Amino acid sequence: MKNINKNSMEKNLEKQYLILVLPGLIIFTIGLIIPLLLAFRYSFTSWDGMSAEKPFVGLKNYIDLIQDSDFRSAWWFTIKFTIGNTIIQNVLALGFAIALDSGIKAQKIYRTAFFVPCLISALIVGFVWLKMFSNVLPAVNDLLGTNINFLLFGDGKTVLSGLLIANNWQWVGYWMLIYLAGLQSIPGDLYEAAKVDGAGAWTRFRNVTLPMLAPAITICVVGITTGSLKVYDLLVSSTKGGPGRASTSVIYQTYTTAINGRQYGYGSAMSVSLVLVLLLVALIQVKGLKSKEVQQ
Amino acid sequence: MKRKLISLILGTTMIAAALTGCGGSGQADNNAPAEAPAEGGDAQEPAAPEADGAGTSEEVTLTVLAGQSTTDAGIEDMIDAALAEQYPNITLEWECVDWGNDFQPKMQQYMQSGLPDIMIGKAQDVATYAPQGILGEIDATYLDRGLDAARENVTIDGKTYGLVYNALYQGVYYNKTMFAENGWEIPKTQEDLQAIIDDCKAKGITPFASHMVDTWSIGNVTMQFMMNDVFNNDPTWGDKFRAGEVSFAEDKMAQTAYQYNKLIFDNTYPETFSTEQTDCDAKMVLGEAAMKVSGSWSIQNFLDIDESFDFGIFPFPNQSGDSKLIFEPNITVMTSANSEHQDAINCVLDVLTGNQDLAVEIYDYTKTASMLKDVTPTFTNPSQSDIDKYAADGMIVDVTLGNNQLVWGGFQEENAKDIAAWLQGDASFEDALAASDARVDASSAN
Amino acid sequence: MAWGKKKQKEDTPHQRYTKTTFLIQILMSVMAVFFIAPILIIINYSFKTKKELYLTSPLSLPSSFQLDNYKKAFDKLNLATTFTNTLLYTAVSVLILALLCGTTAWAIARCRAKFFKFCYIYFIIGILIPYQALFLPIYIIGYRLNLTNTRYGIIFMYVATGISFGVFLMNSFMSTVPIELEEAARIDGCSVLRTYFTVVMPLLKPAMATLIIMQAFQIWNDYLLASLYVSKKDLKTLTVAIQSLFSAQSSDYTTAMAAIVISVLPIAILFMSLQKYFIKGMTVGAVKG
Repeated sequence: MKNINKNSMEKNLEKQYLILVLPGLIIFTIGLIIPLLLAFRYSFTSWDGMSAEKPFVGLKNYIDLIQDSDFRSAWWFTIKFTIGNTIIQNVLALGFAIALDSGIKAQKIYRTAFFVPCLISALIVGFVWLKMFSNVLPAVNDLLGTNINFLLFGDGKTVLSGLLIANNWQWVGYWMLIYLAGLQSIPGDLYEAAKVDGAGAWTRFRNVTLPMLAPAITICVVGITTGSLKVYDLLVSSTKGGPGRASTSVIYQTYTTAINGRQYGYGSAMSVSLVLVLLLVALIQVKGLKSKEVQQ
Repeated sequence: MKRKLISLILGTTMIAAALTGCGGSGQADNNAPAEAPAEGGDAQEPAAPEADGAGTSEEVTLTVLAGQSTTDAGIEDMIDAALAEQYPNITLEWECVDWGNDFQPKMQQYMQSGLPDIMIGKAQDVATYAPQGILGEIDATYLDRGLDAARENVTIDGKTYGLVYNALYQGVYYNKTMFAENGWEIPKTQEDLQAIIDDCKAKGITPFASHMVDTWSIGNVTMQFMMNDVFNNDPTWGDKFRAGEVSFAEDKMAQTAYQYNKLIFDNTYPETFSTEQTDCDAKMVLGEAAMKVSGSWSIQNFLDIDESFDFGIFPFPNQSGDSKLIFEPNITVMTSANSEHQDAINCVLDVLTGNQDLAVEIYDYTKTASMLKDVTPTFTNPSQSDIDKYAADGMIVDVTLGNNQLVWGGFQEENAKDIAAWLQGDASFEDALAASDARVDASSAN
Repeated sequence: MAWGKKKQKEDTPHQRYTKTTFLIQILMSVMAVFFIAPILIIINYSFKTKKELYLTSPLSLPSSFQLDNYKKAFDKLNLATTFTNTLLYTAVSVLILALLCGTTAWAIARCRAKFFKFCYIYFIIGILIPYQALFLPIYIIGYRLNLTNTRYGIIFMYVATGISFGVFLMNSFMSTVPIELEEAARIDGCSVLRTYFTVVMPLLKPAMATLIIMQAFQIWNDYLLASLYVSKKDLKTLTVAIQSLFSAQSSDYTTAMAAIVISVLPIAILFMSLQKYFIKGMTVGAVKG
C-alpha cells in the first residue's frame, strides 16, 4: 500500500519535472536537431542548394569525400590547429591562473587585461591580427631596428602559428578565469599538509593542484578542442583560408563547397562527417578525463 | 504553470518586439526625405510608366537585395531620395550585403522562401539565376535607355533579365608621372613590359603593386589574363573546356595566362601575401610601385589618398600584342518573376534609367563608367583619356564573356587558391593546372 | 567582492610576497601589455584620419583628437536602431536562457528516470553541432515556421543554440544545491515549480550570472544567425552592420575601428560590473564540473 503510494507520487513528480524539461526540448529540437537531420538527408543528394529537385545519389557524396584531397588537407589543418590550441591554451591559461593566484598585487587588473580580448567577436579578432601582422608589428621592427619576420599570415608555413597567436590571444583569458576559480577554491590546508610532509613546489603542484583542478581541466580541454575543430569566423576576416589553401578549416571548406561551389548535397556530407568526429572526440575526452577525476 | 510562465514571457517579448518594430520603421521613413537632393529634375522628369498612373498612390513597399562592393555602399540612399521625389508612394526596403561573400548565400536562402522584388548583383549573376526560371524579363522601355553593349551578356534565348547600370574597367593602372620621368612607353607586347620591369629593377623601383592576401584579386587578374590570351583567340574556350576538347594541362595559352601570375609575383614586393588592397593602393599612390593590375574599384582609394594622383590604364600585354582593355558590367538590376508589384518595380527601373541627375550622382560617387545613353559622369578620372583611346580603337572586351563560361564561385575562385599555393611553392604548376581541370564540373553555373 | 576571500588567503604563508612573486609580477605585466596592445592599437586607429592611416606609422598617435570616425560609424551602422536591436535580442534571449536552462538542468539532475538521462546527452550533442555548416536547413526551418525576419524568431534561435551549453553548465552546478532543502519544501506542500523558484533558484544565482555573461557576449557578437534571420534594415544587429564595413573591397578602416570600439564597450562594461558574480559562479562550476 505504502509502496504504491510512493510510486504514484514519484510518477506525479516525474510528470511535473517533465513539464519543466519539455519547452527547452522542443525549442532545441526545432532549432538545431531538425536542421541537422535535414542536412543528413541532403547529404545523400546532389542538390545544388537552389533548384527545386534534389536528386538522390546514395552514398556517392561520402565516397567522394574520402577521395577529396582538398577536404583531407582541410582536416589536416584543423587537426593541427586543434592540437596546437588545446596544448598552448591549457598550458598558458593554467600558467596565468597560477601566476595570478601566487599573491601578486592588482590581480584584478591583470584578470581584466587577459579577459577583454574574448569579448571581441572572432570576426574582428581576425581582422585586428591581420593588421597587427602586416602593419603594426613591422612598424615595431622599424622602431627597434630589428628584422623579425612578422608576416605570419603571408606564408603557408607560418600561417598556422599566426592563427594560433590570434586565437590564443582571444581565448586564454577566458579559460584562465576557469582555472583561477578552480585554484581559489582549493583549501589552503591541503598545501600546508603537503608542506609538512616535506613536498617541494613541483610535488605540491602535481599531487595537490592538478588533482583538485581535474573538473576544471575537463571543461577546458573539451571546450577548447570542440571550439577549435569548429574554427571559421576567425579565418573569414583574416586569411580567408589562404595563402592557397594553407589555412582552410573543415567548416571553411564545407561552407565554400556548399555555397560558393553550389554543391549543397556534398557540403552537407562534409558537415555530417564533422558532427560525427566532434561527437566521437567529445565522448572519448569526457570518458577519459572523467575516469581520471574518479581515480583521484 | 511553468509553461504558462514561458508563454507569458514569449508573449511579452513578441509584443515588445512588435512595438519596437513599429518605432524602428517610422524612424527610417523620417530619414529618407531629409536627404533628398534639392535639384530634382522637374524639367526632365520622364513619363511615368503607363500602368502606374498618378491615380494609383497606393503605398507599396518593395524588397531589394543588393550585393555590393564597398564602392557601391551608399548608393541606396541616393536611390531612395530620388524615388521619394518621383514616386513617393513606393518605399524600398534594402538589404545590402557584400557581393563576394554574401550574395550567393542570400540568393540560395531566398530561393527557398521567395525572392525579393529587386535584386542587384553583377552581370554574371544573370547566367546563374535566369536558367532557374526565377528572374523577370526587363521591359524594353528601360533597356532602350541603356547602351546596347549593356544587353549582350544578360540576354538568354533572346530575353533580357538584367539591367546593367554601370561598368568598371580593368587592366594595368600605371603611375603617369613615373612613366614620364623614366621615359617608359605604354607596353604593347610582353617584351615591352619586360623592358620596363628590367628598368624598374635597375632603378630600385618595385614594378608591380599587388595584394595577394586577397584570393579574389588573384582570381580577378587571372581572368584578365585569360581574356586576352585565351578568349581573345577562342571566344568559346570555356564551352570547349567542358566538352573535353581543351584542358589546362594541355592548352599552352591557358598556361601562359596562369604563368603571368608568376611574373607579377616575382616582380612585386615580398609581403604581397600579407598586403591588403588598401595598403597596396596606398603604396601605388606613394610611388613605391610603378604599376598595378586592377580595376576601377581602386580609383576611389587612389583619389582618397591623394586627389592629385595622376594615373592611366592599359591592358596587360598578351603574347600576340593585341590586348584589349577589359570592361566589366557591374551593377546589374534583376527582378523577381513572381513579384506582385511589377508596376512598382517598373517605377523603380524608370527612376534608375530616367533620372540623369541620380545616375551622374551614382557614377561620381562610385567612380565608375556610365552604361546609360547620354549620361557622362563628372568626376575627374585621370585614366579616362586612356579609356577613350581604347574605346575609339574598338580595343575593349566584355569580361562577362569569360565569366559566363567559367563561373566565379566554385571555379575561378577555387583555381585562384591553387595558383596561390603554386606561387607560394606549396604546389607545383602542374598540380595547379590539374586541379583546375578536375574542377570542370563546377565551371558552369548550371 | 571576491577580494574578501582573497585577503584571507594572502595571510597564509603560501601566499607571501617574495622575490619569486615579484618576478612573476613583472612577467605578468609584460604579458598584460601584450594582451592589451592590440586593443590600444584599435583605439588609436579609431581616432586617425584616413590619410594618417596610410601616411603615418601605425604606432604614431593621431595628430589631433577628432571624433569624425565615431560620427561616421554612428551613421553608417545606423547605430540607434542596430544597438537597440542587439541589446533587445541579447537581453531577452539571455533571460529566457537563464530561466529555461535552470529548470531544465534541475529537472534532469533530480529525476532518475532513463528519459532524463537521455535528455542530458541529447542536449549535450548541441554543443558539438557546427551550426555554421547547417545554415541552409536552419533557414528553411525558420522560414517554414514564419520565424525569419521577426524579433521573436531570432530570439528563438538564440535560445535553441544556447540551451545546450546552458544545460551543461547549470547541470554541473546542481550538486551544490542541497537536496535536503528541496525535500523540506516539498514536505511543506510546495509544488515542484514553487520549490524551484523559492528554494533552488536563489541558490543558483552565481551559476545564472555565469550563464548570462557567457551567453550574452556570444549573442552580442553573433554574426551568422543574425544575418540569416534578421535581414531587414530595422531588425539588423550591430555585428551584421559592422561586417559590411569589412567586406572585400572595403577601404574605410578608420570607421571600422571606431565601430569596433563602439560595439565592444557595452559588453565590456557588463563584464566588469558583473565580474564578481562571474568569478564566484566560475568557482563553484570549476570545482563541481
